[in-house]
Amino acid sequence: MTATIEAPVVEMPADAPPPKDSLRKRLHIPRFSVLFSVLWLVGLTTLTLLANYAPSVVQSIMYPYSTKIRANGKAAKYLAPNAQNWFGTGKSAEDIFSHCIYGAKVTLIIGVGATLVGLIVGGFIGIVSGYFRGWTDRISSIFTDCLLSIPPLLLALILILRLDDLKDVYSWLSWCTRTWQITLTLGLVAVAPFARIVRAQTLTLREREFVMAARSLGANRSRIIFRELLPNLVPAMLTVAFTGLGILIAAEAGLAFLGLGVESPHTWGKMIDIARDDIDKAWWATVFPCLMLFLTVLSFNLLGDELARRFDIREASV
Amino acid sequence: MAAAAHPPRFGSLLLFEVLVRYLVQRLLRFAVVFFIVTFGLMVLMRLGMNHPGDPARTMLGGTVTQAQIDDVTARYHLDSRLIVQYWFWLKGMVTGDMGVSVQQNLPVSTYIGTRVLVTFFLGVYSLLLAIVVAIPVAVFQSYKRDSVRDKFLSVSSFAFVAIPPVVMGVLLIQLFVIHLGWFPRTGEKIYPWDDPVAHVKNFALPVLALALPVGAVFSRLLRADMVRTLQSDFITLASAKGVSTQRILWRHGLRNSLFSLVTSIGLQLAGIVGGAIVVEQLFNMKGMGTLLVSTILSKDLFVVQALSAIIVATVVMVNLVVDLSYALIDPRIRQMRALS
Amino acid sequence: MSQTVNVTQAATREIAGPLLELTDVTTHFRTPRGMVRAVDGVSFTLDRGQSLGIVGESGSGKTILSRSIMGLLPTRGTERGGSIKFAGREVGNLGRKQMRTIWGKEMAMIFQDPMTSLNPLMKIGAQISEPLRIHLGMSHADAAATARRLLQDVRIPEPDRRLEQYPHELSGGMRQRVMIAIAMACGPTALFADEPTTALDVTVQAQILDLLGEQRRDRNMSLVLVTHDLGVVAGHTDEIAVMYGGKLVEKAPTRRLFAAMKMPYTEALLASIPKMADPSHTRLSVIGGRPPDLVHPPIGCRFAPRCPYAREKCQSDEPPLIATDDDPSHTFACWYPVGSPEYHESRERNAAKKVEAA
Repeated sequence: MTATIEAPVVEMPADAPPPKDSLRKRLHIPRFSVLFSVLWLVGLTTLTLLANYAPSVVQSIMYPYSTKIRANGKAAKYLAPNAQNWFGTGKSAEDIFSHCIYGAKVTLIIGVGATLVGLIVGGFIGIVSGYFRGWTDRISSIFTDCLLSIPPLLLALILILRLDDLKDVYSWLSWCTRTWQITLTLGLVAVAPFARIVRAQTLTLREREFVMAARSLGANRSRIIFRELLPNLVPAMLTVAFTGLGILIAAEAGLAFLGLGVESPHTWGKMIDIARDDIDKAWWATVFPCLMLFLTVLSFNLLGDELARRFDIREASV
Repeated sequence: MAAAAHPPRFGSLLLFEVLVRYLVQRLLRFAVVFFIVTFGLMVLMRLGMNHPGDPARTMLGGTVTQAQIDDVTARYHLDSRLIVQYWFWLKGMVTGDMGVSVQQNLPVSTYIGTRVLVTFFLGVYSLLLAIVVAIPVAVFQSYKRDSVRDKFLSVSSFAFVAIPPVVMGVLLIQLFVIHLGWFPRTGEKIYPWDDPVAHVKNFALPVLALALPVGAVFSRLLRADMVRTLQSDFITLASAKGVSTQRILWRHGLRNSLFSLVTSIGLQLAGIVGGAIVVEQLFNMKGMGTLLVSTILSKDLFVVQALSAIIVATVVMVNLVVDLSYALIDPRIRQMRALS
Repeated sequence: MSQTVNVTQAATREIAGPLLELTDVTTHFRTPRGMVRAVDGVSFTLDRGQSLGIVGESGSGKTILSRSIMGLLPTRGTERGGSIKFAGREVGNLGRKQMRTIWGKEMAMIFQDPMTSLNPLMKIGAQISEPLRIHLGMSHADAAATARRLLQDVRIPEPDRRLEQYPHELSGGMRQRVMIAIAMACGPTALFADEPTTALDVTVQAQILDLLGEQRRDRNMSLVLVTHDLGVVAGHTDEIAVMYGGKLVEKAPTRRLFAAMKMPYTEALLASIPKMADPSHTRLSVIGGRPPDLVHPPIGCRFAPRCPYAREKCQSDEPPLIATDDDPSHTFACWYPVGSPEYHESRERNAAKKVEAA
């Protein structure tokens, strides 16, 4: 990075061999940030899946979800971090570490689900408006403008509560549990930013030679969209997916904090909400969920940033 | 570029006329967005209320008599078609009547007046602080590009981006309220004209919690643009003219690098308002955010509708201003837009 | 600060001797690939009011050389050596702060691409006034009046209107004229023009070159014209220096260079430009091969791998820059210069080899 930026001044001969890579690159060791993010996310996912579905495997480090920690014969509320309870205990004598891990499952599922919803809907809108332009573009851009003019959290608040009510009125909505509500709502929130980026990429792609060539060879629309454009949009979509995941997970925490989280298990945002009244008595009950949230969001952002760098997609980097 | 070779000649009057036309176009577009969003929210809030008395019953909440329901229904045209209701609502908004909180039996305007101000302070301070912090940091980073200090600032700004307002708020409380005891725990509303010091103290932490992540985003955007600008020929030319480093950075570099930052202000504002909902809750501030949460939960629909409309209108207006301000910064965009 | 300004100015105007004196100037860049020897031991002198063309293909180090003299290269990753004397004063080791009193005032520069070299958000008038206000401390009104006169000098019609315009409203040739006006603003003693016409239409090129020559004569200014096009410098400079692979390989007064070049590379360069006298559809000769790798330059003569007359000695020993027997102002670096008996011999031999190989 350091010296190559000055390249425009240095007139490199055309046949210059590519710059020699650093030792790290030659040994295919990813940069520290990537290594950290992948390890953190893989570790977290594994732990939370084990804790939720095969608790016996991890029982040596974790308590079952509903366990109340007891000390001296009574429930040990707000026990400071110690050898048994690494992150201490909370308001109802629960082990914070175990809860942090249990909750991760819901958070990750909602994050991934919402990102997929956003990618599919936003990607569709983006491609269609970028490819057809004209009126299609104008209408869809008004639509995305509308979505962007409502603060995401406000939209999510209203939508989730309305879905709650509607579930009671229409029986066909009974599948829409809280997890689904949050996933769909956050997915909708993600539609507009995703659509914007995909549209911008489509606009540049459609003018590229290979698309022109396909068109001149008489390829029809669906062929151009699915065979020429879509594969070339994958890097951009993947990049925004990772960056978006971080943001959506943060949004989920915000919702849970406001009391609109999944009932059980408690996610990080909910844990912060529960413990915040006693923040002066037990710092661990809020700080550790905060830390989990921060590291997870950071990991997704770092991966998104790395992909943006690799694929040279500027819009998608934070 | 081809067009630039034969620039069109505008008399200043003609240019003015075209700019006005552009302004009207943008205004129209934002008006359309405002109508769609507010009407959409109204529809959303009435979904599933299939019986004539439903909206009134929902709004009143609790156990109510049929007489009360009928009264409210009749008074607020709740039995007419949605579009008619929307018309009445819109007419009310324009004439300054924002509706009534059915539960509190108070006009929304008096009910939310002070609340709006709290959130207004929160939002404006956060946005300003974010910009004021981001610009010098990014300018410094681009000047010392790839140095240790630049890398340190890049990493820290990246970390700040990843801190959601909830987390930031909790950490700030932990550090400044509990550990150091510098600031009060709650941000009760105190007007700057009543007690400036207390005002600053009350708002400092919530504003920081909102502004730091946004400022980090701004500084990253600006640094990237600034680095690119500083590599362009006209910057080298400015050096070759003997222009001082400070002047190159601030006069030549910064102005040419504001595009991403300015365009993202509009987007970030929506995020700030969303974050304000959480931060107000965390700091027990009596702002629009806490009111929104409680009225959404208690289904005081008119209040929710009025608050959302205020928020959407603000976001839309700020976007409009941002859009126009960029045309003011960059003469090329001015011309391009005038031509299209 | 103001003292230094006065000293340099006085020095530039009064001290006798060459305006510019380069001794063994080197500019190396540290890159991940290794040290790029962009400029590798260049020496020459340039007299006041004289013009010099620096010619070479891209990668020859000509642009880096001109920027090294001006001190406009990024400081990080750059290693500079040798001595650059400007008006008797060593400027090769000056920092940015000190150079800033010289930039724009004593030395000025014109860049290749007028599209990107002007600040898109500043009015033309402000951009011309800037050096005037910085170096000469002019008031706003004085600077504007001077800017107007400068625009007239560079033959821009309707100067009053132009002052209020932005760069994007001007054509390429117009913008290059504005660049010249900016460079001329403080009356520099040396002007460096880096490919000033490459980005312009052919018809505009000649006008700009004529304008540069005229300004040089009017202001008794030295001009360094950097270009890859021998045709550009032919009618517009007193002397020509040819660069190859970061080295100066031949330097001579313009007429003499065209009449009696010594370096096969110069010959090849000349052969690659079309001549009026040639019948139409004459095939232009091209220089085979590629410019040398400046991280690992060839041992011996750097042009040897591409030279049709190269012999063993060329590949092992580096030829020194020596003067011709009859003209001390004509220097070249070649073991078997154009016209020497060995030159003819090896030409025939290499031609035969080529035939055999075919």
